[in-house]
Amino acid sequence: MVCSEWPEIRLDEYEGVWVAAFADESGQGIEEASLQLIGAARQLADKLETYVGVALIGRGVRDLAREPIFYGADRVFVVDDDRLATYYPAVWGRVLHDLASRHRPEVFLIPATLRGREMAPYIANSFRTGITADLTAMDVNERGEVVLIRPPFGGFMLAHIVTRNRRPVMGSVRPNVFPTPERDESRTGEVVEESIDVPEPRGIRLLEREPILKKEEIPIEKADVIVAGGRGIGSKEGFKLLRRLADLLGGVVAGSRKAVDAGWIEPDKQVGQTGKAVKPNLYIAVAISGAAQHVFGIREAKRVVAINVDPDAPIFEHSDYGIVGDYREVVPALIELLEEIKGRRKEG
Amino acid sequence: MLRIVVGIKWVPNTTSVNIDPKTGTLIREGIPSVVNPHDLEAVEMALRLRDEYGGRVTAITMSPPSARAGLEHVLGMGVDDAVLVSDRAFAGADTLATSYVLAKVIERLGYDLIVFGQETIDSSTAHVGAQVASWLDIPYVYYVTHARLEGGRLIVRRSLENVRETYELELPALISVAMHTLHPRRVRLSHKLRAKLESPIETWTNRELGLEPDCIGLKGSPTALSKIEMIPKVPRKNEIFRGDPREAAKWLVDKLIEEGLLEV
Ligand SMILES: Cc1cc2nc3c(=O)[nH]c(=O)nc-3n(C[C@H](O)[C@H](O)[C@H](O)COP(=O)(O)OP(=O)(O)OC[C@H]3O[C@@H](n4cnc5c(N)ncnc54)[C@H](O)[C@@H]3O)c2cc1C
Ligand SMILES: Cc1cc2nc3c(=O)[nH]c(=O)nc-3n(C[C@H](O)[C@H](O)[C@H](O)COP(=O)(O)OP(=O)(O)OC[C@H]3O[C@@H](n4cnc5c(N)ncnc54)[C@H](O)[C@@H]3O)c2cc1C
Repeated sequence: MVCSEWPEIRLDEYEGVWVAAFADESGQGIEEASLQLIGAARQLADKLETYVGVALIGRGVRDLAREPIFYGADRVFVVDDDRLATYYPAVWGRVLHDLASRHRPEVFLIPATLRGREMAPYIANSFRTGITADLTAMDVNERGEVVLIRPPFGGFMLAHIVTRNRRPVMGSVRPNVFPTPERDESRTGEVVEESIDVPEPRGIRLLEREPILKKEEIPIEKADVIVAGGRGIGSKEGFKLLRRLADLLGGVVAGSRKAVDAGWIEPDKQVGQTGKAVKPNLYIAVAISGAAQHVFGIREAKRVVAINVDPDAPIFEHSDYGIVGDYREVVPALIELLEEIKGRRKEG
Repeated sequence: MLRIVVGIKWVPNTTSVNIDPKTGTLIREGIPSVVNPHDLEAVEMALRLRDEYGGRVTAITMSPPSARAGLEHVLGMGVDDAVLVSDRAFAGADTLATSYVLAKVIERLGYDLIVFGQETIDSSTAHVGAQVASWLDIPYVYYVTHARLEGGRLIVRRSLENVRETYELELPALISVAMHTLHPRRVRLSHKLRAKLESPIETWTNRELGLEPDCIGLKGSPTALSKIEMIPKVPRKNEIFRGDPREAAKWLVDKLIEEGLLEV
């Protein structure tokens, strides 16, 4: 028997791999996380021998409707509506649900931006289906089932999750887990204009929205060089030393979860499974032990350097170059040497 | 009177959690647990609202019986009463089945405001809040950093990647509190003593709730674990330098220059 709260469905009526896509802040393009997801959906759809559908909703998004096609979509379902001028989680979630339930995709993927993470479970619940959070890979198993893969707590293990009796199979994906596909204007596809009855927001009203003025700083997921500190740094002062090193290398500062918990570095600079996945050319882990959940975030780093007092710290197994030593001695020595090199460069 | 319900999860406090390969569920035996740290931030926000505007804060957890210790902890912080939702029939739930039970519990309690943590530290899905709001069909907002009442409505502030937003919510509503934004208050002896004397923890099983067996636990969970595999290790050079810090710095800089990672 199935739960009587779940509407009856026929599994064989569901086909296609769908992605929810949103405009970026400027409104002039599609946000990066959506594009990345279209690329990932393309690969899964090829395995399933089906199409990639994109649900593009918002106000004024009609003009962007061909963009997803250039990144791998076959069909773009557009809801361009003035009533979507303001974002409300339940309203947008409802519209995405209604649009998808009209076309019954087998798979429905949502970019796990902060808004996406807020909407995705609501959409899944509206279908009374399951949803896999923060998946990092997708596959089709011997039985032809879609498998969504996510790292569980261990950090060194991956959980393969299937959704057997409900559709769509839903998942959310964090930004930068998949690469942004090449834009290819020669790709062709179909744009389908849809009209959906956009509900009025109930019990919620936006009073104010203002941009956060950020220091002109490269976000860690885009940085080429990252100097990351862990609990062994011991203080906010210690992080200033890391900042000097990062500046000399043209990089940014990040941290482990324990450094974030200690308040030495901002939460949006946490590297790891529950933070961000980064892909710099050079990652320098300072006084970080190398827990599996942390290392998970640096799999795509080209070179990893570790500085740690403990010769047995697991981080050394995950690094290319390791220095055993107290960071309070090693980092100043590095800074001195780099300043010297910089000085020479200026003279020469 | 403002009736606030806070959801707290009892989570294993370690990185070495194991999963039963047969059932795909957690092996909890022998692992010390704590209240999910981000849920303590939710408790803090609920208590601040109550202290400011009056009312009552009830903590709920769906968990094995050992979570009683977690409820005692938040009672020690000043929560008024608590419900331990515990039944073998609820075990093995994914987030849909978890949210279903929690929604039914909250409905039975009666509520004006539901306060959740942003996400748990064990499976970190951040699903349950939106799902509960969906079952109850009430407005919701995630990542709240500030909340106050104004004319019976809740004004909340939150920050996304690039914008700061202020929303007005009609009650009943659900909010989840942005993690790393509030310092949870300490447990106070006087609260602990009161909790001991009054024992304000109720235990509800499915006998009280009477939910269909097909909607709860493993059966009520559309997702299933089909397999667990080890993540392959990324191959690295594993070259190590021990010795004088200046020599170490020189060694590293030479390597970086060699590889073109540093310009000279
Ligand atoms: C390895 C692994 C991976 C998993 N992945 C998924 C997945 O991708 N999708 C899925 O549906 N399920 C998944 N689960 C199951 C999931 O862990 C449970 O359903 C869990 O009960 C709720 O999910 P969460 O811990 O992520 O809560 P979140 O959604 O992160 O919790 C948000 C907030 O809800 C409240 N809350 C959550 N749980 C409770 C509770 N039991 N009692 C009271 N309040 C609570 C708290 O305030 C909490 O801060 C996974 C389990 C394992 C073992
Ligand atoms: C579900 C889950 C998700 C998680 N997600 C993340 C995540 O996204 N990111 C993350 O980072 N963690 C995450 N964690 C936490 C992770 O398990 C570790 O606890 C954390 O990464 C440890 O941080 P750390 O290395 O800074 O601290 P510690 O493990 O305490 O290590 C400190 C290190 O500093 C060294 N040290 C001390 N003093 C000095 C000195 N003077 N000079 C040089 N070295 C020194 C020590 O030898 C030690 O190796 C997660 C955990 C769980 C359960």
